[in-house]
Amino acid sequence: MIMTLAIALSIGGAFATSPRQSQDCQGATQYYFNGNYVLAGRIGIDYICVTPSSSVCTYYKVGTTYTPCMWGTYCTANCRASNPTPKKAKK
Amino acid sequence: MTKRQVVLESISALLIMLFLYASVSKYLDFDRFIGEMNNQPFPNSWTPFLVWTVPSLEIAISLALIFERTRMVGFIASLVLMSLFTIYAVTILLHFFAYVPCSCGGVIRKLSWPQHLVFNLFFVVLSVLGIILQRRSSFKSIFITKNSFV
Repeated sequence: MIMTLAIALSIGGAFATSPRQSQDCQGATQYYFNGNYVLAGRIGIDYICVTPSSSVCTYYKVGTTYTPCMWGTYCTANCRASNPTPKKAKK
Repeated sequence: MTKRQVVLESISALLIMLFLYASVSKYLDFDRFIGEMNNQPFPNSWTPFLVWTVPSLEIAISLALIFERTRMVGFIASLVLMSLFTIYAVTILLHFFAYVPCSCGGVIRKLSWPQHLVFNLFFVVLSVLGIILQRRSSFKSIFITKNSFV
């Protein structure tokens, strides 16, 4: 009984919180702000959000408004350096 | 059902919920999971191996925890995996790596790294408790079986 409930809850929960199902902002196209809103690219390949940070890392578009999505410092590589440079995925 | 069995079933259920939720979440959004794995501070060449191994291992542990006969193996595997995740969280918090990546996996990704550490430690403790209780109940059942033959 407990096991059945655990299995149902975990699988159901995974579907319920999946970005495709819940319209989670992280499933949407991400933008970062550098004076203008620019396409952020793919997380883990083009950029990462360095935490802890209280600043907004990326935004997503709701209608015509850019809404904060991910927190952290938008960083493309060498992310603890003062002037970050891109971390590129190995091909 | 004894009190100990209820506790054991509850611990197993919590661990199953964790592992099954985490693995299904990863498979449901596999592309993002690959990106998040690339985001981790180890070589990206490890990604193809890790993106299949980690969720598969989580499902295998969940399956082991469901059945009474394999539960002990499940608890031990759970302890090993959660300890590895905990050590990883500690190294991240100690800035052992060049940068601090995101913490990932369904709604778990919304936790900060210190919260992640506490979360992991909770499940490490649960796994240890599961091993202790499972050992005791195994000894008890062996003892009862032995006595029933006498």
